[in-house]
Order: sequence, then C-alpha cells, then structure tokens
Amino acid sequence: MSKLNNGQEQPKIGVYVCHCGGNISDHVDVAKVVEQAGGLANVTVARDNSFMCSDPGQELIIEDIKSGKVNRIVVASCAPALHETTFRGAIARAGLNPYLYEHANIREQVSWVHHGPGATGKAGALVAAAVGKAGELEALEPIRVQAEAHATVLGGGVAGMSAARDLAAQGLKVALVEKSPFLGGQVAQLDKTFPSNEAAGELLSALASQVLGDERITVYTCAELSEYSGYVGSFKLKIRRTPPTGEALERLAMAKDAAAGEFVPFVGVAAGPVPGEAEEVALVSGAMVLATGFEHYTPAVGEYGYGQMQEVITLPELIRLMADEKATGGQLMVNGKPIANVALIHCVGSRQIPGIHPPGPDGKLNQHCSRVCCTATLQAACELREKFPETNVFEMYRDIRTYGRGHEEYYLNAGRSGVIFARYEPEAPPVVTQGGEDSALTVTVPDKLLAGEELAIGVDLVVLAVGMEPRDNQALVEKMKLPVGADRFLLEVHPKLRPVELPAAGIYLAGACQAPMDTSEAVGAAGAAAAKAGAILSAGFVELDPFVAEVDETKCVGSGACVQACLADEAIEMTETPDGQRARVNPALCMGCGVCVAACEQGAIELSGWTLGQYEAMVDAIVAQALGQGA
Amino acid sequence: MDACVAKYPILILATEDCSYPGANSVGQAHQNYPDNTYIIRTPTPALFPEKFYLDCFDKGVGGIIIMSCGVECPYEGAYPALAKRVDGIYALMKQRGLDIRRLRLTAICTVCNRAFIKEVNLMNQVVAELGAPGSEARAA
Repeated sequence: MSKLNNGQEQPKIGVYVCHCGGNISDHVDVAKVVEQAGGLANVTVARDNSFMCSDPGQELIIEDIKSGKVNRIVVASCAPALHETTFRGAIARAGLNPYLYEHANIREQVSWVHHGPGATGKAGALVAAAVGKAGELEALEPIRVQAEAHATVLGGGVAGMSAARDLAAQGLKVALVEKSPFLGGQVAQLDKTFPSNEAAGELLSALASQVLGDERITVYTCAELSEYSGYVGSFKLKIRRTPPTGEALERLAMAKDAAAGEFVPFVGVAAGPVPGEAEEVALVSGAMVLATGFEHYTPAVGEYGYGQMQEVITLPELIRLMADEKATGGQLMVNGKPIANVALIHCVGSRQIPGIHPPGPDGKLNQHCSRVCCTATLQAACELREKFPETNVFEMYRDIRTYGRGHEEYYLNAGRSGVIFARYEPEAPPVVTQGGEDSALTVTVPDKLLAGEELAIGVDLVVLAVGMEPRDNQALVEKMKLPVGADRFLLEVHPKLRPVELPAAGIYLAGACQAPMDTSEAVGAAGAAAAKAGAILSAGFVELDPFVAEVDETKCVGSGACVQACLADEAIEMTETPDGQRARVNPALCMGCGVCVAACEQGAIELSGWTLGQYEAMVDAIVAQALGQGA
Repeated sequence: MDACVAKYPILILATEDCSYPGANSVGQAHQNYPDNTYIIRTPTPALFPEKFYLDCFDKGVGGIIIMSCGVECPYEGAYPALAKRVDGIYALMKQRGLDIRRLRLTAICTVCNRAFIKEVNLMNQVVAELGAPGSEARAA
C-alpha cells in the first residue's frame, strides 16, 4: 500500500461535480456548487466535468491524488450504486486507499426530482454533507480470511443439484445434503416440464448422473444440517443422517429395485444406500448454497369441495393421473369413470386477500402470486385436449399470468384446442357442489368475460391449481439466523443489486426457497449462486468489505451490551484483558448492521465507514446549508 | 396543488438495501417532492442511538423519517430492535416536550415511489405546522 493510504494526514478533500451530460447541469447550477464546495473546510480542489465516470473525469481525480493536492475524494454525481465502485477503483489506481471516498447523489436525489434554485441549494448541501463525512474518513482495509475450497449445498432438488454440479465444475469439493432418500425434489413429481415439454425424468436423470458421477461431489441423503457455526471461508457444519421413516419408507418401497442414479417416476432419483443407523459427519465449507425448495399448498377441507368430494383433486394429482394414462383419442378415465368435463380452477392458495380468504392453520395468507401455476395449468389443459379430445376442459381464472418465454404459447394453444375460459373475481370464486344433470359435480361461477353472467357447468372432475408455499424451514432459519420475507420465503439482500445473496457473507440462495419460480428460473438462480460462491472461494482467501464493527478498547467498559444486541452469533465476544473484560469483534462474522453501535452507552463500538461521528458531520453540514449558516 | 414545504430540513435515514434505492427509484421516475429533504444512506437505522436523534432536533432538523426495510430487513432481528429503540426515543421526545410526530418510522421498499412521496409530504405538513424544533415545548 502507498504511503498515501495512511488516512492520518490532514484531510485535503477533492470535490468533483459531474454534469452527467445535462442530466444534472440542466437543473443544478454546477458552477455554483463547485464554487461553494471550494469554500468548505478542508477542500483543496473543486472541479466539474461533463462525465466524471469517463476516463478524462477519472483522470482528474487520479492526477490530483498523484500530485498530492488531495487525499480524500468526494464525487457528486449519480446514484452510488452505479459508480461508487468506478471511483473507488480510480482512487486505488492512483495509490490512495479506496475507502477515503464519499459519494454525493445529486442526480437521482436532486436534479431528477427538484428544479430551480432549490435544486442547486440541495446539491450544495449534499456536497457539504459528503465533505463533512470525508473529513472524518479513515483508511480501511478489506478483511481477508482463508477460504476452504469446499461448498455445502442444502437441498437435492433441481436447483441444489445444478448448484452442486456448477460448483464442482469450478474445481471445488461439494457436499450435497438432501433430506429425503432421493434426489430430484419437486421436479420428480412432474411428468413434463414447460416450456420445452421435456420429460422431467430425463432432465433429472441427466443432472443426477452428472452429480453422482463427479468424484468432487459427495451426496448425503436422509441428511440434515444439525450444527452450524463459523463464517465465510470456514463454515463449520455437522450433517446428521438418520434412517428413513414414514413417507420416505413408502417411497423407498416404490423404488426398491432402482439402482443408484435411476429415476423412478414421482419418487425421484435413487442415490445409493440409506443409513441403517444415525450418523454425523463434520464438514468445513467455504460457502453454502441453500436450495431447500418449496411445498405445494394443501387446500383446506371443504375448499372448493377438496377432501369432501373425491372428484376434487389438485393439479399435481392430475399430472400424476395423466402420466399413467395413454392417449386414447376419447375421454380421460379416472378410477374407471369417464371424464366428460373437467374444470381447472386457478389461484388456489395463491394471491389470497385478507377478508376474503381465510388464513391457513398458521394464521398466514399466501398473498403472493405463485407465478408458475398458470402455465402449469394451461400445459395440463393442452395435454388433456390432445390426449383425450372427448374431454371438455373449462379453465376458471382470475388473471392469466403466462409471463415466461414460451409460456404464452400454452395459452394460445389452449384456446385453439377448444379450452373454454371463464374469468372470476376473488370476491365471487367458483362454487363446487355435489351432483348435476349428467355429472358428478356442478361448478357455478359468475363469468366476468360475460359481464358477470352466472355459469353452471356440470363436470366430472375439478382440478385445483394449487400455489407454491415456502417449505417449513423454521429450524434452519433459527439455526442460521436466516432472513425471511413477509411471504415467508427466504429473503435475498436485494433482487437487483445483490441477487441470491444473504447478508451473511458466503451464503447464497438457489431456487424456489426464495420465491415461486419455475424449473428454468431455479436452475438459473442455482447457476448464479454457484458462480458467486465459486468466485469468492477460487483465490483461497476471501476479501470482505471492511464495513464491520470495531471496538475502541480505551472506551469499552465491558458491559456486554453490544454482545447482547448483536444479531449474529459469536460476532462479538467478551475477552479477558489486563484491564478487565472487553468486547472484541470477529470481522468475518460481523454482518455490519450496526445494532451494537446504538446499544453501547459508552460509544465504544463503531461501524467502520459508517461511524456516528461521520453521520454527525453530515447532519451539521446539512443543517448549516439548509438554514443558511453555510460557508 | 404544490406540496407544502416546511422551512426546517427533514432528514431521511434510508437503508442502503431498500429505501435508498427506493428514493433513487423516485428520481428515475422524475417524480417531484419538496427539496428540504436530505437522504442519508445507512446499512440500517438500528445503528443510531437515542442521542443522535435528539441532537438532530437540537441542531435544527425539523423532522426525521426513518425509512427502514421493515419486515424485509436483511438483518434478521434489526427491525424489532429499531422499533423498540424508536419507542424509547418517543419517550425521550415527550420528556423534552418535542412533538413525537417529528419522528416517523416507516418501511419503504426499492420501488415504493408513492409511499416515499406520501411520507415526505406528510412530514412536511407536520414540520410546517410545528415550526422550529423545540418551539412546541416553549409554547406549552
């Protein structure tokens, strides 16, 4: 590191204001902002440029650093998410510590929302605030921790297997941990996948053969995470394998003759012997991928007649029924009975509305759209019409959400093949009653497409397009302190800025554990998770952002308040020192939330890069500018 | 109708994962809101102790909107900790005679444009009504 990096010199702050073409300068008097900035304390250089992110713009900064004019940088431009990294890179290239940098957002938060003198005044205030913070900045170093070239994937469905395969392809050793005796997860419960109509069994067989045939991947079936500690680069895990019981035994009986790697329809891919007695395996992993999947919504007894009328089934049940039925050119037969008419009801257990839909046993509603069931239902309808053209199909929907590439074709094909659509409002859903003129059931629904005219359709089968629910991961959530969204799925940090990442470094999400998604999307998310995990493990060490808590032992009195407040296990611990108990932060475990900062009455713990002193300097500058006390 | 613009600055503590990008989303939509609002980025507002808020009012900040991630907070447990702390700050504000409407805890997502503008306008109305921070205590 250069001697310029010490951050201890008297601050010499360079302010660089961007015009962003005219995006900023059309509404902000940039010259005035530069002039004001030049008069602020510690500012030695104030410049402007048409595009600060351009090479000439960055060169301004680099030259000023190299010539010793500045040792801290403020750039006033667009949102920091766009170019904070750009400018930190330029600063590092000039030999200065890249964290001696602050960003003022004067495009998205000024010129695009304010006009006239107020815009210039606010831009000046935000620049002053950034200068205030810059004066308090200290050089920071990324936190470097050794990284084990090993990843653990929880969940052996299509997302988990994909992630394991992609991680192994990067040269990493992988542990694939699956709760059941089989690989394949929910995709094993399908016959064909959309939009390619590829057989689910073929897809899973191909994937499983790659996983089971790769010596870098160890598959643990009948296994769960029993212990978890550590941090990115070195997660210390215990995997507990237990002999199968209950439903797992039934599935094993269905696949008793299957060899390892063989796909058994609606069971999964056999993955070798199951444990005869409980056993525990200890692992050290550099990264983790959670691919714990989803569950189908189970309708309440009586919901559209489910559980009371044997002719009411769910879409997964229909898929299984149809898989066993050869195309006849006639009518679908179910339990020996011909099905002349079938009604498919959408949005069962999805898009539930408070006050209309009763909550589930856990008191929750599924207010989310499950996204995939529209296309899955239309796929089933098309297959019904193709294989059994004498069976009439009625689809009762709220909205058709065939959002993916190739999905809309199912809707078009369903219409062309004679499927009849009726649109219902959530306040007036279809009502299923026993008996009809020539049918087992009657479905009554006011059809919005016919201006609310009530249709009464005699049908022999009702199929409920059940939605996707988060799997019950409570034990895992508590053990790993995982964030859970309002929809109860696992929550990534940010869908655009940090997709598939959790706030705890080195843990990633793959597949439908984070939201309803189809097979293609699940595999895509798995690829993203594997790529991110592989990227951090490939160097043998991990460099983490330095924005973590830091204790000033001269102020710490050992109260332990920070330890109590800390949200991450073992991120702060009390240690014995010659002066008594003092708090100490493990930077690799610290999530950088700063909850400990507020808890310390002595002000002995701060979040590096986001200190209270820096915030106070910002507030002072804002107030001074806003109330006209500025320089 | 023009939005009410208070004389005193309004501070917005915005989370870098939710409401700060949310404020940027308002900008990307070119939706106007009063220019007496100053957005400060933070990993989570749960890091600010009570004193920080009280000092802000002492310095002349008319109102503070905490724009958190709410239940979508990526730091499991941070939002309940923040809500509890805000309760404590309200108690301290009452002791000082500060109207607790000057501090508002909200949850704003990355695309909550309307909610963002609504909160800004609401706080402006409050600050315009109350005037200088602390003036309500002196008037009482």
